[in-house]
Amino acid sequence: MKNTGEKLAQAAKKEFDQSVDGLDAATLSRLNRGRQAALAETRQPVRQWLRWMPATGVAAAVLLALVVQQGPGDVGVIAAPAADLEILLGEESIEMLEDLEFYSWLDTEELAGDGDLG
Amino acid sequence: MATDSLNFAVSCTAKPTGARTLQKERQLGEFLAEVERRALRIAEIAVRDRDEALDLVQDAMIKLARNYSGRGIEEWPPLFYRILQNGVRDWHRRQAVRNRVMVWFQKSKSADDDLDVIAAAPDPIGRSPDEELQNSEAMRDLELAVHDLPTRQREAFMLRTFECLDVAGTAVAMGCSQGSVKTHYSRAVHTLREKLGEHWQ
Repeated sequence: MKNTGEKLAQAAKKEFDQSVDGLDAATLSRLNRGRQAALAETRQPVRQWLRWMPATGVAAAVLLALVVQQGPGDVGVIAAPAADLEILLGEESIEMLEDLEFYSWLDTEELAGDGDLG
Repeated sequence: MATDSLNFAVSCTAKPTGARTLQKERQLGEFLAEVERRALRIAEIAVRDRDEALDLVQDAMIKLARNYSGRGIEEWPPLFYRILQNGVRDWHRRQAVRNRVMVWFQKSKSADDDLDVIAAAPDPIGRSPDEELQNSEAMRDLELAVHDLPTRQREAFMLRTFECLDVAGTAVAMGCSQGSVKTHYSRAVHTLREKLGEHWQ
């Protein structure tokens, strides 16, 4: 006698598989293009300088954190809210560092918004 | 003469680097082709957007190929899903930040944005409209319930149930202990049983 948890998992798997089988041609085509792009990566020679990109990103984030902790009055930089900094320095921060420019813009916008409110 | 024969035998059995690379690329292609559709649906349930899910799956495929194609084939499934789950978590973080920005730039949604072209397309596997409706309703309920689970429970449930990863593989994919996987999975099933009701039991 199977327990209810196992039955639920089986029923969920069945529904899920049907939804996978029902994917349309356009979606499958995009998946195929993505796969080909991935396979093309295996033929690319490794660029050594790219290996340093994550370390450089982390160093930039640490530097940013130190600058922000100094406070806006000391060095005249924009103070990022603590929550945003936490997001930037989360455990998967390497991915986020690709968008530093976006967060810089975001901070500018938030400060402008605060000004409007005040 | 004997030495020449030996050299010939060695040169025939030892694969050149180029051939090994091609073999690895073929194996990787087969792995990705086998996993990509399920990965898409798993990502789609997590982010509730097919285009975003397609981008996340493509990113995961590229990162796996770029960084881990040299690893053993048996390591690919948990590594691939670890990359994908990290991508999904990052996506949610970015969304949280962007949503705060959108408070300042709220736009009214046009009616065209609500039209789901994919949902409106005919069923590609030939189910009757009634069957399609019944299945799509059941799947929609399931998707919503799974989506609403706490992140770690959702990850554990989808990797164990939909992708059929074992506990050890799921632990690698989630970056946690096997005990945590069991706990998250058990809680997810308990919550889903309560939400989905008798139809699913």
